[in-house]
Amino acid sequence: MSFDPVRLELVKNGIGSVVDEMVLTVVRVAYSSIMKDTMDISSAFCDREGRMIQQGLSLPLHLGSFPDAMDAVRAEFGDRIAPGDVIILNDPYHGGMHLPDIFMFQPIFADDHLLGYGVVVAHHNSVGGRVPGSSAADSTEIFQEGLRIPVVKLYEGGVFNETLQKIIGLNVRIPDVVLGDLQAQVSACRIAERGMLELIGRYGVSELERYFEELLDYSEREARRAIRSIPNGTYRFTDFLDDDGINMDQPVNVCVSIRVEGDEVTVDFDGTSPQVRGAINSTLSFAKSAVYFSIRSIMDSDVPNNSGFMRPIHVVAPPGCLVNPQPPAACAARGVSGFRVIDAMFGALAQAVPEAVRAAGEGGTTSYSIGGYDSEGRFVLFREAVMGAWGAGCNREGIDGVANPAANISNAPVELVENQAPIRVERYELVPDSGGPGKWRGGLSVERQLRFLGKEATLQLRSDRRRHRPYGLAGGGPGAPSDNFLDDGGWGNLPTKFTMPLKNGQAFRHTTAGGGGYGNPLERDPNLVLADVRNGKVSPESAKKDYGVCAEPTPWRVNVQATASLRAGRSSPEPGPSTF
Amino acid sequence: METQIPRQFRVGVDIGGTFTDLAFLRPDGKLDKKKVPSTPTDYSRAIVEGISDYCSEKGIPATGIAEIVHATTLATNAILERKGTRTALITTEGFRDVLELRRIRIPLSYDLDWEKPVPLVERALRFPVSERVDALGNVLVQIELDSIEPIISEMTSEEVEAVAVCFLHSYRQPLHERQVGEVLRREMPHVHVSLSCEVLPEILEFERTSTTVVNAYVAPLISRYLETLRAKLEEINIRPPILVMQSNGSLISAESAAERAVTIIESGPAAGVVAAARLAKDSSCSNVITLDMGGTTTKASIIERGEILRAGEYEVGSPISISSRLVRGSGYILRIPIIDISEVGAGGGSLATLDAGGAMRVGPRSAGAHPGPACYGQGNDLPTVTDANLVLGYINTHSLAGGALRVNPDLSEAAIKEKIADPSGLSVLDAAYGVHAIANSNMVRAIKSVSVERGRDPANFIMMAFGGAGPIHAAGVARVLGIRRVLIPPSPGVFSAFGLLRGEVEHHSARTVLTHTRDANLVEIQSRFDEMREILTSRILGEGFAASAISTSSFVDLRYQGQSSEITVPFPASQVTTEALRIAEEFFEEEFVRTYGYRGDTKDFELVNIRMVITVSRSVEHGSEWLSESDEVSAKPLKRDVYFGADFGLLPSDVLTRHCLESQPRSGPAVIQEYDTTIVVPPDCSVFLDGRENIIIDLDFS
Repeated sequence: MSFDPVRLELVKNGIGSVVDEMVLTVVRVAYSSIMKDTMDISSAFCDREGRMIQQGLSLPLHLGSFPDAMDAVRAEFGDRIAPGDVIILNDPYHGGMHLPDIFMFQPIFADDHLLGYGVVVAHHNSVGGRVPGSSAADSTEIFQEGLRIPVVKLYEGGVFNETLQKIIGLNVRIPDVVLGDLQAQVSACRIAERGMLELIGRYGVSELERYFEELLDYSEREARRAIRSIPNGTYRFTDFLDDDGINMDQPVNVCVSIRVEGDEVTVDFDGTSPQVRGAINSTLSFAKSAVYFSIRSIMDSDVPNNSGFMRPIHVVAPPGCLVNPQPPAACAARGVSGFRVIDAMFGALAQAVPEAVRAAGEGGTTSYSIGGYDSEGRFVLFREAVMGAWGAGCNREGIDGVANPAANISNAPVELVENQAPIRVERYELVPDSGGPGKWRGGLSVERQLRFLGKEATLQLRSDRRRHRPYGLAGGGPGAPSDNFLDDGGWGNLPTKFTMPLKNGQAFRHTTAGGGGYGNPLERDPNLVLADVRNGKVSPESAKKDYGVCAEPTPWRVNVQATASLRAGRSSPEPGPSTF
Repeated sequence: METQIPRQFRVGVDIGGTFTDLAFLRPDGKLDKKKVPSTPTDYSRAIVEGISDYCSEKGIPATGIAEIVHATTLATNAILERKGTRTALITTEGFRDVLELRRIRIPLSYDLDWEKPVPLVERALRFPVSERVDALGNVLVQIELDSIEPIISEMTSEEVEAVAVCFLHSYRQPLHERQVGEVLRREMPHVHVSLSCEVLPEILEFERTSTTVVNAYVAPLISRYLETLRAKLEEINIRPPILVMQSNGSLISAESAAERAVTIIESGPAAGVVAAARLAKDSSCSNVITLDMGGTTTKASIIERGEILRAGEYEVGSPISISSRLVRGSGYILRIPIIDISEVGAGGGSLATLDAGGAMRVGPRSAGAHPGPACYGQGNDLPTVTDANLVLGYINTHSLAGGALRVNPDLSEAAIKEKIADPSGLSVLDAAYGVHAIANSNMVRAIKSVSVERGRDPANFIMMAFGGAGPIHAAGVARVLGIRRVLIPPSPGVFSAFGLLRGEVEHHSARTVLTHTRDANLVEIQSRFDEMREILTSRILGEGFAASAISTSSFVDLRYQGQSSEITVPFPASQVTTEALRIAEEFFEEEFVRTYGYRGDTKDFELVNIRMVITVSRSVEHGSEWLSESDEVSAKPLKRDVYFGADFGLLPSDVLTRHCLESQPRSGPAVIQEYDTTIVVPPDCSVFLDGRENIIIDLDFS
């Protein structure tokens, strides 16, 4: 072995500590709840060539964004980077993902030698634009979405760029918070510099850089090992978004073909819909993140997330398609497309390594905002995200009520919501019979019902997975579709994505989609079906119809004879992903 | 009852996975100790045997035991093994799944194998009832008590042994919970009932429900266990009061512990920190980081300006061993006052492996106490941290724990050679040193998570190391963190048991008030403080303490309006006045600046919770001097070869006992051998004994 495995682990732990501390610093010092509580932040250390050496505690869907952002910085400044510089960007067409995510880079020097960069990306509550929150799904060009920041220096040689700060401050709705949060990112960069200088003190520059290479090689080896365990071949899958938020009758395709050859894999998005009018277009860097996330999730060891891991993975998407949009396509609500890329990736990987993946989950966050006035006429802005369910896998039950694995955020406590906004939460519960049937059952969907107690407001909501349900695998059924309802004296249906006025006393209800099932439901252990019936997660009717199990009260038990005759003579469903 | 404890023996008992540690405070003020093997089928057996053996060895009559102070992992184990009481939950209609939905966050990324912790109350036993209170405490939907009857008969036929009740906004309006509680206690007298308005009258429905459910889930077990312990002691005529340590480091009576079992989870680790805080005060070191290393994990905590740092919540039963607030969702959340302890899966039994990509890992998988490290010869042939320490010459090559456990260093060497050294091309010594160093670097992360998350720089602290393995690793960990001084107290292996003897009797309570301080209703807040004082006082009087021994302190949780980072600060008066609120706001802002590095640009504050702590001052002797004969003292100075990494190599090192050390510093390398641990002094350090029998290691950073 050419390297010392102890030193490798110590250097890895050392850099890991630095990048984790960067995230902790933002959490500690930031003003906004989206950074402090939701922790929509990621950090990384990249070497002088822009290769990501280690990612910090952070969001999986930021995984692949650092190298592209670094490329933009290096393309812009080349050698014109000096000690004391801090660089920022947010434009999706200049290294960013969507405008609310502001990247920040601090070059770290050992004397005159550039060692690399501390990088931190954080989601800001406002970057201006047409709609408060700067995240609307129904913008049609990037110019409506807020302030576009090209690759620029916030500090140059230690001197703060006041002009830039003034421009940002004037363009956002809550300048104090945004500028404070930006300062929190600066603090994180300083931590990166201090921590990496400490490591230089311990190991020296050349030894440290040697272990950067070893860490990259190590992750690459592990990635290649994982890819080799996938049988050679090409695996295709198409999943769908219900609509783009503008053309409500036009589904959007997300098409992947995964070509595995030995220890290399190429993911091609050919066949994916062209870029759309609504704001769900996703930069290629974000789509790459989703691809990396999917492949990373089927690897079994906890290798460091770095550029070495990405070496054997190639991603291709035709320019002008949904996941490689050209300006001025709008991108703010690109999250939902990222979720669908992951679903499509798992759907394709299921053909190659069915035991390693799960059937589709709820399909990503449903997010909504209520902006308006309470009964005393005070302005209130309330936002929350609702999730979710995991699909089932081979020998793995789906999970009822859980965050999406790629967007790990918390729900909002009912008691806090009711204390802070003119809202009453009337229901927050699991929905029986919503998990896709299977030998392993898909996770149940979640229902949340809110009544507006203020004067008047605007309700804006983004959901999906209504016409295109989360798929099941290996004969498992799809999860239940998502839905939206309005109580306007009687319950009526609402579209998947909408903006509408909300009056005092009106209520709306959102149901997430359920997770897909795995395997033939007629092979499900009758005792597991019985437990679901006993717990009110599956109705006795569905137990009969979907699982061929006759569960009877009281006390609850399986009627073995009736079950045997129900199951006999029932044909098994087609294997492979269930249709939508 | 007299609050003055007669001058007899006090006993601290800390139960661990392998050993039950007993610390005795003798009538002459000296401390003594005993380690006996734990008895996992019935933990009380080891306690009773340990005490009665000690009594007969020393010729002490049964009446000579004045008090037993106890820490137990029973509740934690019941949750980890899901062997608690069959528990039901009654909750508000529409919110049957609050317990199961949790905060929905998952602890780790990229892990499709993750499983959500199974709810401690299954859905079939979660009973929604029609009732509703709003955020201001107004009753919107009246509860129909008749609706409880069918639930009671169902719970009876389901053989439920404990019921938790948690309704929305009951922290504000407990009426419905109280009514249901009354019916349950009347109609199901043998079933334990936990009401959320009694266990935790604080806002946040998931955290309150979870805490109440955990209380109901473990209370009957704790109650039975303590009854058994008492009965067994009585059989041999030992009838002293039994006190139990709470997670916050203070003591409550066994009776209260049985009722409020949720407060004694993680009491063992708390005891070590309490001991450290007292020692810090005695030795006038105000800023201390504790390092408590055992068989499977290492725990770290912070003492700053003499005060233990506390946290407001904790996840019990979490298999994930990075205890950072960023990694939440793997256990069962408890909102209880608790010492802020960070834990990492690096202990003596942690397994060292070389993965397929060629990287070395240490932990979190552990060989535990059984089969234990390879050197135990009990069937594990994978190398552990203890094996590495043995090969390096850090620990006694014959036996551990004063001879109670034989070890075979050849097995350690074989394990390290075969699993690590040969495949990686390292020498056996370098491979062992690597295992040791990686274990250290894992501990560094635990310490950073308690210090850095709180905005504290470890370099400004001294380290106090204890637990069976802490003193072996302390100097190495301190070096990476830039800590200049390490203190090893006497009898570090039973330090937690000793800490039990140093706890004070305290009761804590809190109420959510959630109001702006500017337009706060002072009369209402005062009445809630008064209510807490009344409840706590009667509880303490009920435990047999005198009213004259009680002292009260009040605290408030404040935050800037619109922010979520609330901080608990002392409330400076017994009467709630505008002036007192202003002073509390100043305390809050000072602490906010210390933690977050800036002052908010608003002067609008929210008062979230009010808290009260009642302390009983009992003129109890704590003791600080250990009987010297309890440590093996070797008359002959020994030397052995000890390996300190490639930079220093294999060095012949003095093997000493604590009492060979003097107040004059001597340079490393040295190994100090004790009854149940070893202290390693690397070559670039010096070591001396302070006036209180503490070993001090000073690190040279030049």
